[in-house]
Amino acid sequence: MTGLATVPPVFVLLAVALLVAVLPRRVGHGLGILATGALVPWSLSISAGVYHDVTFLGFDAVLLNVDEFSRLMGLIFGIIGAVAVLYSLASDAERVQTAFALSYVATSVGAVFAGDWLTLIFFWELMAVTSTLLVWHYGGKAVRAGFRYALLHGLGGSLLMGAILWHYSVAGTFLFTGEGIAAGPAAILAALGIGVNVGFVGLHTWLPDTYPRPHIAASVFLCVFTTKTGVYGMYRAFPDGHLLIAYMGGAMAVFGVCYALLQNDMRRLLSYHIQSQVGYMVAGVGIGSVLGVGGAFAHVFNHILYKALLFMTAGVVIYRTGEESLKKLGGLAREMPITAGAFSVAALSIAGFPGFNGFVSKGIVISASHYDFKKEALVHVGGYTGLELLLLVGGVGTFMSFIKFGYYAFFHGEHDGEVRDANRGQSVAMVVVAVLCVVYGLYDTALFSILPVDVTAATLEHPYTTYTIPHVVEGVVLAVLGLVGFYATKKPLSKLGRVPDLDRIYNPAVFYGARGVVLGTIRLYGAVDRAAVRTATTATAVATHPERVAERFGANSQDDGPVTLRAGIGLSVLVLALFVTVGLILLF
Amino acid sequence: MIEHAPVLVIALPIVGGALPLLFGLFADRLGWPIAAVTLLGQTVLAVALATTVVDGGAVSYVPGGFVAPYGIELVVDGLSAVVLVLIAAVSLGVLAYARRAGPHADSFYAQYLLLVAGLSGMTATGDVFNLYVFLEITGLAAYGLVASGRSASAAVAALKYLIVGTIGASLYLLGAGYLLAATGTLNMADLAGTLAEAGYDSTLVLTAFGLMIGGLAVKVALYPLHTWQPDAYADAHDTVSTLVAALVSTVAAYALARLLFSVFTVGFFDAVPIAQTALLTVAAVSIVAGSLLAVAQSDVQRMLAYSSVSQFGLVIAGFAVGTQAAIVGALVHLVGHAVMKGGLFAATGIVERRTGARRLAEYAGLGERAPVTAAGIAVLLFAMVGVPPAVGFVGKWYIVVGAVEAGTWSLVVVLLASTLLTLAYFARLFERMYFTAPPSASTTDATPVPDGGNGREAVSTGMVAVVVAAALLAVVLGGTAPLVEQIVEQTVSTFPHP
Repeated sequence: MTGLATVPPVFVLLAVALLVAVLPRRVGHGLGILATGALVPWSLSISAGVYHDVTFLGFDAVLLNVDEFSRLMGLIFGIIGAVAVLYSLASDAERVQTAFALSYVATSVGAVFAGDWLTLIFFWELMAVTSTLLVWHYGGKAVRAGFRYALLHGLGGSLLMGAILWHYSVAGTFLFTGEGIAAGPAAILAALGIGVNVGFVGLHTWLPDTYPRPHIAASVFLCVFTTKTGVYGMYRAFPDGHLLIAYMGGAMAVFGVCYALLQNDMRRLLSYHIQSQVGYMVAGVGIGSVLGVGGAFAHVFNHILYKALLFMTAGVVIYRTGEESLKKLGGLAREMPITAGAFSVAALSIAGFPGFNGFVSKGIVISASHYDFKKEALVHVGGYTGLELLLLVGGVGTFMSFIKFGYYAFFHGEHDGEVRDANRGQSVAMVVVAVLCVVYGLYDTALFSILPVDVTAATLEHPYTTYTIPHVVEGVVLAVLGLVGFYATKKPLSKLGRVPDLDRIYNPAVFYGARGVVLGTIRLYGAVDRAAVRTATTATAVATHPERVAERFGANSQDDGPVTLRAGIGLSVLVLALFVTVGLILLF
Repeated sequence: MIEHAPVLVIALPIVGGALPLLFGLFADRLGWPIAAVTLLGQTVLAVALATTVVDGGAVSYVPGGFVAPYGIELVVDGLSAVVLVLIAAVSLGVLAYARRAGPHADSFYAQYLLLVAGLSGMTATGDVFNLYVFLEITGLAAYGLVASGRSASAAVAALKYLIVGTIGASLYLLGAGYLLAATGTLNMADLAGTLAEAGYDSTLVLTAFGLMIGGLAVKVALYPLHTWQPDAYADAHDTVSTLVAALVSTVAAYALARLLFSVFTVGFFDAVPIAQTALLTVAAVSIVAGSLLAVAQSDVQRMLAYSSVSQFGLVIAGFAVGTQAAIVGALVHLVGHAVMKGGLFAATGIVERRTGARRLAEYAGLGERAPVTAAGIAVLLFAMVGVPPAVGFVGKWYIVVGAVEAGTWSLVVVLLASTLLTLAYFARLFERMYFTAPPSASTTDATPVPDGGNGREAVSTGMVAVVVAAALLAVVLGGTAPLVEQIVEQTVSTFPHP
C-alpha cells in the first residue's frame, strides 16, 4: 500500500487547516472531521517502512517513517482529532481557532511520523508555535499564560535542539538508529528538553497555568497532543529506559495528584492530572522493559481517550453554567445526565477501576514496576519496589480527586435553576469516547493488538493478564482507600485556599531577573551604541573618501591635484611581479 | 555527429565570428542574426554534449588524428560540460540584451563570437599549451570588446587590461614551459602521471605551479591582482560588461580548478601543503578585501566589480579546499555568480539608459522609478548575499560544508563573515532603491541633456526580460544542486589520484 505514502499526512492536514480558516464554519469543520478521521484507516493500513527519505541541505532526513509506535500515535491522534473537531463545532469555536487547532494536530502528526531527529525537532517546534497561537486566540488572561507557555517551550525546544546537534556530532547522522540519543551531555539535554513537554516535576508549571485558560474546545486539543508527543519523543530518545526517568515518572504521578486534590478550578484540576497520568507513561518508558514500554504506550492511548472526555465534560459544564470553580457548582447530575454519565465513565477510567480502560494500561505499568524493576529500584518496601509504591499512591490520589470532582460538580447539593444538558454534537462526541473507554476496558485484546510490543507474549517472564483476582482486588482496594481518604480530608481540603505551586517562585524570579537583565542590557547597549556610532561614522568617512584620509596623513603633501588611490598600469604590473615572486619564494 | 561535438563547440563560434565581417562587405547589420543563429547552435551543441557526458562519462576528442600525448586532445568531463552549457546559455542571453543595447557594429559581433570560441576552447581543452592559446584568444577578444566602449576611459581601461592580462598570460606560458622541461609533455592527463614521477617538490614543478596559478589568478582577478578588473567592467559598454563579468573570470577560475585537479592533482597538495595554504590564504584575503573595497565604492558598477573579486575568492577557496562538497559548492557558485553578476550588470545598464544613474546616490527611489528592474536587482542582490533558497545560498552552503569537513576552521569563519560583508555593500544599494526618496522631479526629468550623447536611451522589453530571467534563474538554479552534486561525484571519481 505504498500509494498511501504519496503525501505525508502532515501536509494534508495543514492544507485542511488552511481551508477550515476560510470555508463556511460547518463545511470547514466537517472537512476537518473527515481529514482527521481519515488518519485512522490510514494509520491502520499503511505498511511499515521508510518513505520520503530526502536530503535536506546535505543531511539525510525522513519525512515519513511508519513503525508500530508511530502507527499507534497516528491512530489515536486521528480518533481524538476527529472527536475534538466535532466538539469544537458543537461548542461554538470560531473557524480560525479550529484552524489553529488543526495545524497543531498536523504538526503533532508530523512529529510522530518523523524518521529522523531533524524532522522531529522541526515539527516539535512548530507544535509549540501552533499551540501557542491556539491559546492566544482566546485573548484575555490566556495571552499572558500563552507567553509563559511559549517561553518555556522555546527553552525546552532549544535544549532538545542542543541534544540533537550533540547527538549528530557523536553519531554522524540525524536518522533514528533505534538506539536512542547518544549518551552523555546529549542524553541530559534531551531528557530536560523533552521533560518540559511531558511536565517533569519542576518543569511542569506551564501545564496548570495554560490549559485552564483558553476556549473549552481548545483545552480538549491541548490536553492530548503536546504531552503525548513528548512521551513518544522520550521513548525515541531513551528506548532502553533510565532509572532516573522512571523515578521522575513516579514523582510526577504523586506530585501531580497531590496538587490536583488541592484544586477547585475544574480544568486546573484536570491539568494536574495530566502531569500525574503522564507520570505513569514516563515511568513505563523509564523502566524500558517490554511491559514498561507496552504499558506506557497503552496508557498513552487510553489516557488520550479519557482525558479528552474529562475536558469535554468539564467544558460542557462551563459552557452551560459559565462557572469554572467546583465551589460554585453542585447537583448537576440531575440536570445533565449525559454529561454526568460521561464524566463517571471517564473518572472511573482515569482512576483505574476494573472494567475501564485505565485499569488495563495502568496495570501494565505497575506490573512492569513490580517485576521488571526489582534490581534497579534501589528502594524496596515489603515486597513492593519504590516506584511501584509511588504509582499506587498516585492511584489512590486519583480516586480521591475524582470523587471530589464528581461529588462537588454533579452529586453534592442541589442546583438552583434549570441547566440544559450537552447539545447534540457535544453529546455525540462524549458518548463515542465514553463507549471506547469501556470497550477497551472490557475487551483488552483489542488494545493489546494495536500495541507496538506484545505484553501478553508467552516468552515474557511475566506475561500480562488484565483480569486476575489480585489485580481486580488491587483496583477495588485503591478505590476504597480513595473513598475513605476523600471523606477523611474533605473538611480540611474545603477550607484550603489556593495552594501555591512552583510558579509562584518562577514567575517573580523570571520577571525580576529578566527586568534586571533587560535594564542592564539597555544601559550597556546605550554605551555600546554611542561608541559604535562614533566608530561607524569614522569608518564610513574612511571607506567612502579614502583619498581625504590619505591626504590628511600627509600623502601627496607637496604635489598639487587630488590624491588618487587607483592602481595605475605600472603599479599593477609591479604588484603582479611581487605577488608571483613572493609565491615562488614561499613554495621553495 | 555528437562525437565531434568537443571540437564543434570551438569551431562553430570561430566560423560564426568570421561571417559578420565577410557579409559586412555586402550588407549592414547582419552581425546580430548571424551571432544569434551561431549561439543557438552552440547552446544546442553544449546541451547535447552535457547530456552525453552525464550519461556516459567524459568524452575525449583528438583533432587531426595526432594521437595524444603529442597531438592536442580535447576532453569534456562533467565539470567542463557544465561550464560549456553556462558559456553558451549566458552568451545567448546577453545577445538578447545586445539586440537593442548594441553595439551594432559587425566587428563587435565578430569579437563577441571569438570570445565565446576562446572561452569554450579553454573549457574543452585537455592540453596546457592549448589552454594558453585559448587564454590569449579570450584575452584578445575581451581587450577589443572593452575598447569598443565610446568613452576615452574605456580605451585606457582596455589598455590596462591588455598589459596586465598579457603579462599574466605570459607567466602562465612560462609555467607551462617549466612543466614541459620537467616532464616532456603538455597533455593534462599525461602530466598528471609524469609530474608524480618528476617529484612534486622538485624546483621545476614548484616554479611551474607558482607561475601558472599566478598567471591565472590575474585572469580570475583575485586580490591584489584585480586592478585591471573594476576599470574594465565599469568603463566598457554595458553589453560587454555583462558578458565579460559573467564569463571571463568564471572560465579562468574553471581553468585554475582544472589545473589543480587534472594536472597537479590532489597528490600535489598532499606533498606540498604550503601550496594549498597559500592558495587558501589568497582566496580568503580576496573575499575580505574585495568586500571592503566594494563597500568603499560610490559607483554601482565598480561596486559590482569589486564584489566579483570577493565572490571569486569564495570559488577559489572552494576549489582549494578540494573536498567533494566544496567542489560542488564552488561549481554551483561559479554558475550562480555568472548568472547573478551578469544580471546585475545588465540591470545597471538599463538603469543608466532609463535614468542616467551610475552612482549609488543616484539610485535613490529606483523602486518607484523603474519597479521591474529594481525588483530584479533586489532579487539578485539577495541571491548574491545568500538568502535561501537562492543559488547564492546553496553554493556558499556547500563550500562551508566542505570547509567544515576538511577542518579548515579559519576559512569557515571567513566564509560566514563574507555573507555579512556582502550584505554590507548590497544593503547600501537596496536601501537606496527602496527606502530613500527619489530626487525631486525637477532635477531629474526636466534637465535637458547638454551634449546629446548621454541622453536617455531606449530600453527594450527584451533587455528587461534578460534581467528578470536572471533573477528567476538565480532563485531556481538553487534547486539544481543535487544534479551538480551527481555530476561532480561522477567527475571527481575520474580525477587522477597518483
